[in-house]
Amino acid sequence: MSSGEASGAGERERESATAELARCREEIEHIDNEIVSLLARRLTLGKRTGELKRVAGLPILDPTREAAVIRRVTGVARDAELPTEPIREIFWQIVGMSRRVQEQTPESLA
Amino acid sequence: MIIVTKSDVTDAEIDHIRERIESLGMRTHLSRGERRTIIGCIGDESVLDEVPLRSLPGVESVTPVLKPYKLASREFAADRTIVRVGGRDARAEFGGGPISVIAGPCSVEGREMLLSAARDVRKAGASMLRGGAFKPRTSPYAFQGLGEQALRLLVDVRAATGLPVVTEVMDTRQVDLVAEHADMLQVGARNMQNFSLLAELGRVRRPVLLKRGLSATVKELLMAAEYIMANGNHDVVLCERGIRTFETATRNTLDVAAIPVLKRESHLPVIVDPSHAGGDAGLVAPLAFAAIAAGADGLIVEVHPDPERALSDGDQSLDPTAFASMMQSLAAFAAAAGRSIAVPADARAVA
Repeated sequence: MSSGEASGAGERERESATAELARCREEIEHIDNEIVSLLARRLTLGKRTGELKRVAGLPILDPTREAAVIRRVTGVARDAELPTEPIREIFWQIVGMSRRVQEQTPESLA
Repeated sequence: MIIVTKSDVTDAEIDHIRERIESLGMRTHLSRGERRTIIGCIGDESVLDEVPLRSLPGVESVTPVLKPYKLASREFAADRTIVRVGGRDARAEFGGGPISVIAGPCSVEGREMLLSAARDVRKAGASMLRGGAFKPRTSPYAFQGLGEQALRLLVDVRAATGLPVVTEVMDTRQVDLVAEHADMLQVGARNMQNFSLLAELGRVRRPVLLKRGLSATVKELLMAAEYIMANGNHDVVLCERGIRTFETATRNTLDVAAIPVLKRESHLPVIVDPSHAGGDAGLVAPLAFAAIAAGADGLIVEVHPDPERALSDGDQSLDPTAFASMMQSLAAFAAAAGRSIAVPADARAVA
Protein backbone atom coordinates (compact mmCIF):
# COMPACT_ATOMS: atom_id res chain seq x y z
CA MET A 1 0.00 0.00 0.00
CA SER A 2 1.39 3.42 -0.91
CA SER A 3 1.69 6.11 1.72
CA GLY A 4 -1.00 8.10 -0.15
CA GLU A 5 -3.54 5.26 0.28
CA ALA A 6 -2.56 4.81 3.93
CA SER A 7 -3.07 8.48 4.72
CA GLY A 8 -6.39 8.39 2.80
CA ALA A 9 -7.59 5.53 5.03
CA GLY A 10 -6.40 7.42 8.12
CA GLU A 11 -8.32 10.47 6.95
CA ARG A 12 -11.56 8.47 6.53
CA GLU A 13 -11.12 6.93 9.98
CA ARG A 14 -10.70 10.40 11.52
CA GLU A 15 -13.80 11.70 9.73
CA SER A 16 -15.94 8.82 10.91
CA ALA A 17 -14.63 9.21 14.48
CA THR A 18 -15.43 12.94 14.39
CA ALA A 19 -18.96 12.20 13.19
CA GLU A 20 -19.54 9.61 15.90
CA LEU A 21 -18.12 11.97 18.52
CA ALA A 22 -20.72 14.56 17.49
CA ARG A 23 -23.51 11.96 17.78
CA CYS A 24 -22.29 10.89 21.24
CA ARG A 25 -22.23 14.49 22.40
CA GLU A 26 -25.74 15.04 21.13
CA GLU A 27 -26.96 12.00 23.07
CA ILE A 28 -25.13 13.18 26.18
CA GLU A 29 -26.92 16.54 25.94
CA HIS A 30 -30.20 14.71 25.61
CA ILE A 31 -29.44 12.63 28.73
CA ASP A 32 -28.42 15.79 30.64
CA ASN A 33 -31.79 17.33 29.78
CA GLU A 34 -33.51 14.23 31.10
CA ILE A 35 -31.48 14.33 34.32
CA VAL A 36 -32.50 17.96 34.88
CA SER A 37 -36.19 17.23 34.30
CA LEU A 38 -36.02 14.20 36.60
CA LEU A 39 -34.44 16.41 39.27
CA ALA A 40 -37.27 18.92 38.79
CA ARG A 41 -39.82 16.11 39.32
CA ARG A 42 -37.96 14.92 42.39
CA LEU A 43 -37.95 18.44 43.85
CA THR A 44 -41.68 18.83 43.22
CA LEU A 45 -42.26 15.64 45.20
CA GLY A 46 -39.86 16.92 47.86
CA LYS A 47 -41.91 20.09 48.17
CA ARG A 48 -45.07 17.99 48.58
CA THR A 49 -43.48 15.77 51.26
CA GLY A 50 -42.47 18.96 53.07
CA GLU A 51 -46.12 20.09 53.12
CA LEU A 52 -47.29 16.64 54.25
CA LYS A 53 -44.68 16.52 57.03
CA ARG A 54 -45.91 19.91 58.23
CA VAL A 55 -49.55 18.69 58.28
CA ALA A 56 -48.54 15.46 60.04
CA GLY A 57 -46.53 17.46 62.60
CA LEU A 58 -43.24 15.76 61.64
CA PRO A 59 -39.87 17.53 61.60
CA ILE A 60 -38.55 18.53 58.14
CA LEU A 61 -35.02 17.34 58.83
CA ASP A 62 -35.06 13.56 58.99
CA PRO A 63 -31.47 12.27 59.04
CA THR A 64 -32.61 8.65 59.41
CA ARG A 65 -34.60 8.87 56.19
CA GLU A 66 -31.74 10.68 54.40
CA ALA A 67 -29.26 7.99 55.49
CA ALA A 68 -31.64 5.28 54.28
CA VAL A 69 -32.01 7.01 50.89
CA ILE A 70 -28.23 7.17 50.51
CA ARG A 71 -27.78 3.55 51.55
CA ARG A 72 -30.43 2.42 49.08
CA VAL A 73 -28.92 4.24 46.08
CA THR A 74 -25.45 2.98 47.10
CA GLY A 75 -26.82 -0.54 46.68
CA VAL A 76 -28.46 0.31 43.35
CA ALA A 77 -25.21 1.83 42.09
CA ARG A 78 -23.23 -1.20 43.22
CA ASP A 79 -25.63 -3.57 41.45
CA ALA A 80 -25.25 -1.46 38.30
CA GLU A 81 -21.45 -1.75 38.72
CA LEU A 82 -21.03 2.01 39.05
CA PRO A 83 -18.46 3.55 41.43
CA THR A 84 -20.41 4.01 44.67
CA GLU A 85 -18.55 6.93 46.27
CA PRO A 86 -19.25 9.49 43.49
CA ILE A 87 -22.90 8.34 43.36
CA ARG A 88 -23.16 8.88 47.13
CA GLU A 89 -21.73 12.39 46.71
CA ILE A 90 -24.22 13.22 43.97
CA PHE A 91 -27.13 11.95 46.06
CA TRP A 92 -26.03 13.86 49.15
CA GLN A 93 -26.28 16.97 46.95
CA ILE A 94 -29.75 15.94 45.74
CA VAL A 95 -30.95 15.10 49.26
CA GLY A 96 -29.62 18.47 50.49
CA MET A 97 -31.35 20.31 47.66
CA SER A 98 -34.62 18.54 48.45
CA ARG A 99 -34.29 19.39 52.14
CA ARG A 100 -33.79 23.08 51.35
CA VAL A 101 -36.96 23.05 49.24
CA GLN A 102 -38.88 21.38 52.08
CA GLU A 103 -37.61 23.92 54.59
CA GLN A 104 -39.23 26.76 52.64
CA THR A 105 -42.66 27.53 54.02
CA PRO A 106 -45.67 27.54 51.64
CA GLU A 107 -45.75 31.37 51.94
CA SER A 108 -42.12 31.74 50.91
CA LEU A 109 -42.72 29.43 47.94
CA ALA A 110 -45.64 31.48 46.72
CA MET B 1 -13.97 9.54 65.08
CA ILE B 2 -12.58 6.79 62.87
CA ILE B 3 -13.83 3.26 62.54
CA VAL B 4 -11.40 0.60 61.39
CA THR B 5 -13.25 -2.34 59.89
CA LYS B 6 -12.39 -6.02 60.11
CA SER B 7 -10.34 -7.38 57.21
CA ASP B 8 -13.24 -9.57 56.04
CA VAL B 9 -15.88 -6.80 56.22
CA THR B 10 -18.58 -6.99 53.53
CA ASP B 11 -20.03 -4.14 51.46
CA ALA B 12 -23.39 -4.64 53.20
CA GLU B 13 -21.74 -4.29 56.63
CA ILE B 14 -19.98 -1.11 55.53
CA ASP B 15 -23.28 0.27 54.18
CA HIS B 16 -24.94 -0.54 57.49
CA ILE B 17 -22.25 1.14 59.59
CA ARG B 18 -22.39 4.25 57.43
CA GLU B 19 -26.19 4.37 57.56
CA ARG B 20 -26.14 4.19 61.36
CA ILE B 21 -23.71 7.10 61.56
CA GLU B 22 -25.38 9.18 58.85
CA SER B 23 -28.80 8.71 60.43
CA LEU B 24 -27.47 10.81 63.32
CA GLY B 25 -26.80 13.73 60.98
CA MET B 26 -23.09 13.02 60.54
CA ARG B 27 -21.31 12.33 57.28
CA THR B 28 -18.87 9.53 56.52
CA HIS B 29 -15.78 9.19 54.39
CA LEU B 30 -14.56 5.82 53.21
CA SER B 31 -10.88 5.05 52.72
CA ARG B 32 -10.00 1.63 51.37
CA GLY B 33 -6.39 0.61 51.78
CA GLU B 34 -4.56 -2.51 50.79
CA ARG B 35 -4.90 -4.07 54.21
CA ARG B 36 -7.67 -2.17 55.94
CA THR B 37 -10.69 -0.01 55.36
CA ILE B 38 -11.41 3.08 57.42
CA ILE B 39 -14.71 4.90 57.85
CA GLY B 40 -14.14 8.47 58.96
CA CYS B 41 -17.00 10.26 60.74
CA ILE B 42 -17.40 14.00 60.19
CA GLY B 43 -19.68 16.23 62.23
CA ASP B 44 -20.73 16.63 65.85
CA GLU B 45 -19.23 13.52 67.46
CA SER B 46 -21.19 13.79 70.69
CA VAL B 47 -24.19 12.16 68.94
CA LEU B 48 -22.15 8.98 68.53
CA ASP B 49 -22.10 8.37 72.29
CA GLU B 50 -25.48 6.66 72.09
CA VAL B 51 -24.45 4.21 69.34
CA PRO B 52 -22.68 1.00 70.37
CA LEU B 53 -20.30 1.34 67.39
CA ARG B 54 -17.95 -1.41 68.55
CA SER B 55 -20.75 -3.96 68.47
CA LEU B 56 -21.78 -3.27 64.86
CA PRO B 57 -20.93 -6.16 62.53
CA GLY B 58 -17.64 -5.63 60.69
CA VAL B 59 -16.17 -3.10 63.17
CA GLU B 60 -12.66 -3.83 64.41
CA SER B 61 -11.94 -0.68 66.42
CA VAL B 62 -13.20 2.83 67.07
CA THR B 63 -10.82 5.72 67.77
CA PRO B 64 -11.54 9.39 68.38
CA VAL B 65 -9.58 11.91 66.24
CA LEU B 66 -8.54 14.63 68.63
CA LYS B 67 -7.01 16.90 65.98
CA PRO B 68 -9.11 19.77 64.59
CA TYR B 69 -8.38 18.51 61.06
CA LYS B 70 -10.12 15.25 60.24
CA LEU B 71 -10.06 14.50 56.50
CA ALA B 72 -6.44 15.68 56.30
CA SER B 73 -5.30 13.69 59.32
CA ARG B 74 -3.15 10.59 59.01
CA GLU B 75 -5.71 8.50 60.92
CA PHE B 76 -8.47 9.18 58.42
CA ALA B 77 -6.83 7.37 55.50
CA ALA B 78 -5.97 3.70 55.27
CA ASP B 79 -2.86 4.44 53.19
CA ARG B 80 -0.88 7.51 52.15
CA THR B 81 -2.65 9.49 49.46
CA ILE B 82 -1.22 9.48 45.95
CA VAL B 83 -2.29 12.60 44.05
CA ARG B 84 -2.44 12.00 40.31
CA VAL B 85 -2.12 15.04 38.06
CA GLY B 86 -3.00 15.38 34.38
CA GLY B 87 -4.40 12.89 31.94
CA ARG B 88 -3.14 10.21 29.63
CA ASP B 89 -1.13 12.57 27.41
CA ALA B 90 0.64 14.40 30.26
CA ARG B 91 0.72 13.08 33.79
CA ALA B 92 2.59 13.19 37.09
CA GLU B 93 2.06 11.76 40.55
CA PHE B 94 2.83 12.85 44.09
CA GLY B 95 3.05 10.75 47.21
CA GLY B 96 3.83 7.40 45.64
CA GLY B 97 7.33 5.95 45.59
CA PRO B 98 9.20 8.22 43.19
CA ILE B 99 9.91 11.91 43.83
CA SER B 100 8.31 14.26 41.29
CA VAL B 101 9.99 17.54 40.43
CA ILE B 102 8.03 20.53 39.13
CA ALA B 103 10.16 23.15 37.42
CA GLY B 104 9.77 26.21 35.24
CA PRO B 105 9.79 29.99 35.26
CA CYS B 106 8.31 32.11 38.02
CA SER B 107 6.02 33.74 35.47
CA VAL B 108 5.14 33.01 31.86
CA GLU B 109 6.78 35.81 29.89
CA GLY B 110 6.18 34.55 26.35
CA ARG B 111 5.90 31.46 24.19
CA GLU B 112 9.58 31.09 23.29
CA MET B 113 10.90 31.38 26.82
CA LEU B 114 8.25 29.02 28.20
CA LEU B 115 8.87 26.37 25.57
CA SER B 116 12.62 26.64 25.97
CA ALA B 117 12.32 26.37 29.78
CA ALA B 118 9.94 23.41 29.48
CA ARG B 119 12.23 21.51 27.13
CA ASP B 120 15.24 22.17 29.33
CA VAL B 121 13.59 21.06 32.58
CA ARG B 122 12.07 18.01 30.93
CA LYS B 123 15.45 16.95 29.59
CA ALA B 124 16.90 17.34 33.09
CA GLY B 125 14.20 15.05 34.55
CA ALA B 126 11.37 17.32 35.73
CA SER B 127 7.97 15.64 35.43
CA MET B 128 5.84 18.77 35.56
CA LEU B 129 5.96 22.41 34.42
CA ARG B 130 5.25 25.46 36.54
CA GLY B 131 4.60 28.97 35.24
CA GLY B 132 2.73 31.88 36.75
CA ALA B 133 -0.09 33.49 34.79
CA PHE B 134 -1.51 35.65 37.58
CA LYS B 135 1.23 36.90 39.88
CA PRO B 136 0.60 38.12 43.42
CA ARG B 137 3.33 40.73 43.78
CA THR B 138 4.20 42.68 46.88
CA SER B 139 4.19 45.87 44.83
CA PRO B 140 1.21 46.86 42.66
CA TYR B 141 3.71 48.41 40.22
CA ALA B 142 5.60 45.14 39.61
CA PHE B 143 4.89 42.82 36.63
CA GLN B 144 1.51 41.17 37.34
CA GLY B 145 1.67 38.30 34.85
CA LEU B 146 0.19 37.77 31.38
CA GLY B 147 -3.09 36.34 32.70
CA GLU B 148 -5.30 34.48 30.27
CA GLN B 149 -2.72 34.69 27.48
CA ALA B 150 -0.25 32.87 29.74
CA LEU B 151 -2.81 30.13 30.40
CA ARG B 152 -3.12 29.52 26.65
CA LEU B 153 0.67 29.36 26.32
CA LEU B 154 0.81 26.81 29.13
CA VAL B 155 -1.68 24.62 27.25
CA ASP B 156 0.43 24.90 24.05
CA VAL B 157 3.64 24.01 25.81
CA ARG B 158 1.96 21.15 27.64
CA ALA B 159 0.97 19.70 24.26
CA ALA B 160 4.46 20.20 22.86
CA THR B 161 6.33 18.64 25.78
CA GLY B 162 3.90 16.23 27.49
CA LEU B 163 4.49 17.97 30.82
CA PRO B 164 1.36 18.64 32.92
CA VAL B 165 1.19 22.23 34.17
CA VAL B 166 0.55 23.92 37.50
CA THR B 167 -0.25 27.59 37.86
CA GLU B 168 -1.48 29.83 40.64
CA VAL B 169 -5.08 30.89 41.07
CA MET B 170 -5.41 34.09 43.10
CA ASP B 171 -9.10 34.72 43.19
CA THR B 172 -12.38 32.80 43.33
CA ARG B 173 -13.38 34.45 40.03
CA GLN B 174 -10.40 32.82 38.27
CA VAL B 175 -10.97 29.25 39.48
CA ASP B 176 -13.03 27.97 36.52
CA LEU B 177 -10.83 29.71 33.96
CA VAL B 178 -7.59 28.34 35.42
CA ALA B 179 -9.12 24.87 35.89
CA GLU B 180 -9.98 24.80 32.18
CA HIS B 181 -6.32 25.26 31.28
CA ALA B 182 -4.11 23.85 34.03
CA ASP B 183 -3.71 20.30 35.34
CA MET B 184 -3.13 21.46 38.91
CA LEU B 185 -4.15 24.67 40.69
CA GLN B 186 -1.77 26.37 43.08
CA VAL B 187 -2.79 28.35 46.13
CA GLY B 188 0.00 30.79 46.91
CA ALA B 189 1.41 31.40 50.37
CA ARG B 190 -0.41 34.73 50.65
CA ASN B 191 -3.74 33.07 49.91
CA MET B 192 -3.39 30.06 52.20
CA GLN B 193 -6.12 31.33 54.50
CA ASN B 194 -8.35 32.81 51.80
CA PHE B 195 -11.20 30.57 52.89
CA SER B 196 -13.60 31.47 50.11
CA LEU B 197 -10.91 30.55 47.55
CA LEU B 198 -10.22 27.27 49.39
CA ALA B 199 -13.92 26.41 49.44
CA GLU B 200 -14.22 27.15 45.72
CA LEU B 201 -11.25 24.88 45.00
CA GLY B 202 -13.05 22.16 46.93
CA ARG B 203 -15.70 22.17 44.22
CA VAL B 204 -13.40 21.69 41.21
CA ARG B 205 -12.03 18.37 40.05
CA ARG B 206 -8.40 19.42 39.78
CA PRO B 207 -5.62 18.63 42.24
CA VAL B 208 -4.55 21.58 44.40
CA LEU B 209 -1.01 22.54 45.35
CA LEU B 210 -1.40 24.33 48.69
CA LYS B 211 1.55 26.44 49.78
CA ARG B 212 2.16 27.18 53.42
CA GLY B 213 1.59 30.80 54.42
CA LEU B 214 4.60 32.90 55.39
CA SER B 215 3.54 32.95 59.02
CA ALA B 216 1.28 29.91 59.15
CA THR B 217 1.75 27.05 61.56
CA VAL B 218 1.66 23.41 60.48
CA LYS B 219 -1.77 23.17 62.08
CA GLU B 220 -3.05 26.16 60.11
CA LEU B 221 -1.72 24.64 56.87
CA LEU B 222 -3.55 21.39 57.61
CA MET B 223 -6.73 23.30 58.47
CA ALA B 224 -6.46 25.06 55.08
CA ALA B 225 -6.18 21.63 53.41
CA GLU B 226 -9.18 20.51 55.46
CA TYR B 227 -11.22 23.39 53.97
CA ILE B 228 -10.55 22.17 50.42
CA MET B 229 -11.25 18.55 51.37
CA ALA B 230 -14.40 19.31 53.35
CA ASN B 231 -15.77 20.95 50.20
CA GLY B 232 -15.26 17.77 48.21
CA ASN B 233 -11.77 17.85 46.68
CA HIS B 234 -9.44 15.34 48.30
CA ASP B 235 -6.51 15.79 45.91
CA VAL B 236 -4.35 18.19 47.88
CA VAL B 237 -0.55 18.40 47.85
CA LEU B 238 1.02 20.37 50.70
CA CYS B 239 4.02 22.61 50.03
CA GLU B 240 6.57 23.91 52.54
CA ARG B 241 8.12 27.09 51.11
CA GLY B 242 9.89 28.73 54.02
CA ILE B 243 8.50 30.76 56.89
CA ARG B 244 9.26 34.21 58.23
CA THR B 245 11.75 34.24 61.09
CA PHE B 246 14.19 36.74 62.66
CA GLU B 247 16.89 35.56 60.25
CA THR B 248 17.67 38.05 57.47
CA ALA B 249 20.51 36.20 55.72
CA THR B 250 17.91 34.22 53.79
CA ARG B 251 14.57 35.49 52.49
CA ASN B 252 12.64 32.90 54.48
CA THR B 253 13.69 30.01 56.68
CA LEU B 254 13.00 26.59 55.20
CA ASP B 255 11.21 24.66 57.95
CA VAL B 256 12.79 21.28 57.28
CA ALA B 257 11.20 19.79 60.39
CA ALA B 258 7.76 20.58 58.97
CA ILE B 259 8.29 17.88 56.33
CA PRO B 260 8.41 14.85 58.68
CA VAL B 261 5.85 16.51 60.98
CA LEU B 262 3.37 16.97 58.13
CA LYS B 263 3.94 13.40 57.02
CA ARG B 264 3.33 12.18 60.55
CA GLU B 265 0.16 14.25 60.94
CA SER B 266 -1.31 13.78 57.46
CA HIS B 267 -1.67 11.25 54.66
CA LEU B 268 -1.30 14.01 52.03
CA PRO B 269 1.85 14.31 49.91
CA VAL B 270 4.36 16.99 50.95
CA ILE B 271 6.61 18.86 48.53
CA VAL B 272 9.12 21.67 49.05
CA ASP B 273 9.83 24.94 47.23
CA PRO B 274 13.55 25.61 47.78
CA SER B 275 13.48 28.65 45.45
CA HIS B 276 11.17 30.83 47.54
CA ALA B 277 12.52 29.49 50.82
CA GLY B 278 16.04 30.82 50.26
CA GLY B 279 15.29 33.56 47.76
CA ASP B 280 18.75 32.95 46.29
CA ALA B 281 19.74 30.68 43.40
CA GLY B 282 22.82 29.51 45.33
CA LEU B 283 20.64 28.07 48.10
CA VAL B 284 18.25 26.12 45.87
CA ALA B 285 20.29 22.93 45.49
CA PRO B 286 21.33 22.51 49.16
CA LEU B 287 17.76 23.19 50.34
CA ALA B 288 16.41 20.73 47.75
CA PHE B 289 18.83 18.07 49.02
CA ALA B 290 17.76 18.73 52.61
CA ALA B 291 14.10 18.45 51.62
CA ILE B 292 14.56 15.08 49.97
CA ALA B 293 16.65 13.82 52.87
CA ALA B 294 13.84 14.85 55.23
CA GLY B 295 11.27 12.82 53.29
CA ALA B 296 9.65 15.26 50.84
CA ASP B 297 7.61 13.68 48.04
CA GLY B 298 8.61 16.28 45.49
CA LEU B 299 10.04 19.71 44.74
CA ILE B 300 8.90 22.85 42.93
CA VAL B 301 11.84 24.79 41.53
CA GLU B 302 12.09 28.03 39.57
CA VAL B 303 14.10 27.69 36.37
CA HIS B 304 14.48 30.49 33.83
CA PRO B 305 16.30 30.21 30.48
CA ASP B 306 18.00 33.51 31.26
CA PRO B 307 17.57 34.48 34.95
CA GLU B 308 19.31 37.84 34.45
CA ARG B 309 16.45 38.93 32.20
CA ALA B 310 13.60 37.40 34.20
CA LEU B 311 10.65 39.73 34.78
CA SER B 312 10.20 38.37 38.30
CA ASP B 313 12.22 36.48 40.90
CA GLY B 314 15.37 36.29 38.75
CA ASP B 315 17.61 36.14 41.83
CA GLN B 316 16.23 32.83 42.97
CA SER B 317 15.85 31.20 39.54
CA LEU B 318 18.28 28.56 38.38
CA ASP B 319 19.49 28.58 34.80
CA PRO B 320 18.94 25.30 32.90
CA THR B 321 22.54 24.15 33.41
CA ALA B 322 22.41 24.67 37.17
CA PHE B 323 19.05 22.88 37.30
CA ALA B 324 20.38 19.89 35.34
CA SER B 325 23.36 19.65 37.64
CA MET B 326 21.12 19.83 40.73
CA MET B 327 18.93 17.06 39.32
CA GLN B 328 21.96 14.86 38.79
CA SER B 329 23.11 15.26 42.39
CA LEU B 330 19.54 14.85 43.65
CA ALA B 331 19.39 11.21 42.56
CA ALA B 332 21.92 10.21 45.22
CA PHE B 333 19.95 11.95 47.99
CA ALA B 334 16.77 10.28 46.78
CA ALA B 335 18.48 6.89 46.80
CA ALA B 336 19.79 7.50 50.33
CA ALA B 337 16.18 8.23 51.40
CA GLY B 338 15.07 4.98 49.77
CA ARG B 339 13.39 6.80 46.88
CA SER B 340 14.01 7.53 43.22
CA ILE B 341 13.31 10.50 40.96
CA ALA B 342 10.15 10.13 38.85
CA VAL B 343 10.67 9.86 35.11
CA PRO B 344 8.51 12.17 32.94
CA ALA B 345 5.38 10.28 31.84
CA ASP B 346 5.99 9.83 28.12
CA ALA B 347 9.70 9.09 28.56
CA ARG B 348 8.45 6.14 30.59
CA ALA B 349 6.16 5.09 27.74
CA VAL B 350 9.03 5.19 25.24
CA ALA B 351 11.34 3.17 27.47
